[in-house]
Amino acid sequence: MTGLVWLCRRETLRVSKLWTQTVLAPVVSSILFILVFGLSLGGRIREVGGVDYEVFIVPGLITMGMTQAAYANNASSIFQARFDRYIHDVLSAPMRPWQVTLGYTVGGVFRALAIGCSLLVLAALLVGVPVERPFALVTAVALGLVLFSALGVVVGIYAETWDHTTFIANIVILPLAFVGGVFYSVDVLPSPWEELSHFNPIFYLVNAVRFGFLGESDVSIWLSLGVTAGLAVPVYAWSQWLFTTGRRLKS
Amino acid sequence: MFRDVPALELRGLTKRYDDGTMALEEFDLQIPSGAFFGLLGPNGAGKTTLISAVCNLVRVTSGEIRVFGEPHQSLPARSWIGLAEQDINLDRFLTVRETLLYHGGYFGMREPDERAEELITAFGLEHKRDVRAPKLSGGQRRRLLLARALMHRPRLVILDEPTAGVDFELRMELWRYIRQLHAEGTTILLTTHYLEEAEELCDEIGLIRDGRLIARDSAEGLRTHFGVERLQDVYVKAMAS
Repeated sequence: MTGLVWLCRRETLRVSKLWTQTVLAPVVSSILFILVFGLSLGGRIREVGGVDYEVFIVPGLITMGMTQAAYANNASSIFQARFDRYIHDVLSAPMRPWQVTLGYTVGGVFRALAIGCSLLVLAALLVGVPVERPFALVTAVALGLVLFSALGVVVGIYAETWDHTTFIANIVILPLAFVGGVFYSVDVLPSPWEELSHFNPIFYLVNAVRFGFLGESDVSIWLSLGVTAGLAVPVYAWSQWLFTTGRRLKS
Repeated sequence: MFRDVPALELRGLTKRYDDGTMALEEFDLQIPSGAFFGLLGPNGAGKTTLISAVCNLVRVTSGEIRVFGEPHQSLPARSWIGLAEQDINLDRFLTVRETLLYHGGYFGMREPDERAEELITAFGLEHKRDVRAPKLSGGQRRRLLLARALMHRPRLVILDEPTAGVDFELRMELWRYIRQLHAEGTTILLTTHYLEEAEELCDEIGLIRDGRLIARDSAEGLRTHFGVERLQDVYVKAMAS
């Protein structure tokens, strides 16, 4: 277990050393979203489902900030380690594949939690966002972070250029987050956009987190947690399989 | 216990890459514990593939690798190997001290601080303790690479062209470290392009070409076998045959 502990320490140390890029920048950008959208649109929309608009958008923005960070952290950490080949130090070490998978996953989780906790404190101070269902919130965040941290590991292993890692972040995750109900309730969308939203996995994660904060969401919390878990488990298993077989890591 | 079994034993080791390149074919090799073994061969002969296979960095197509009697994938076998690769592959986010500490941690050391300080002093990196790897000079990086390989006190140290591209002074310095290591009982597998390096350091030399071991003996034995006076001529004859 010593190797696992040190790999976790290394991945969290990297986040800490680069804290202005890894934590501060995403927090500032999410707070700007809360301020700009909350102030500009809040005056026109006022409430969504009986909740003040500036409060309504907080769970989605926190989810978006955390998932992007979890993914980006691990994709870049693994890709850099492969690119510079210092991943050899880990691959040749007496560690089991599950320990390596877990160690690399922890970095993304740590960074996402640092961002999420900072945003929670700031949002509580700025707009007074409540936490109505803490157990559901913790479960949703845990599943979401496993999903996106593991996805970052997988993409970091498959990527052949830096562009590949940013492509997934900018062309897949960010658009799906934006249309996943971060800024609105999908109930207000006309058909077929409302129905199509239900094929967006981030929609379920946003709603699970929103349920944890506000106690209400567009779909059942169990469905939201079920869909998120149904994605998190196979993606984590995929990352584990890559370290177990050495595929893409060892020629 | 470790004197009774070979430090490294390869049986029928074959590695065919996905593009069809046969890097190693039915490769057999046994290196006794405590030996200083040199592996000589041209680029593409299979030296680095062999080392990578031993260190679990490539997927072996077939064959068996044992390190002090244990399968090379096993955790004990991994912990007994120290590898300094040919290319500098230091973690860009870590300082000199952290590089050693984290390596020790990955390899199961619970209290790596003292050992890290010992190596920092031994390799003359005291003034660079808190400097990150990208800011070190080429020579300092090469020394750190060797220090990292030795951090967890491996029984088998594998050095893949450790002096490639370094100046004369550093080469002499690295030779001194390596000799001292061998004198302390560590088994060493060295690959090099420099024939004089192999002759100077190694008890025994293996010649590898096209993924096969074509000869192995002491430098003197190789010269006698090939009927020449210089190791350079042995190499030319062996590679041409």
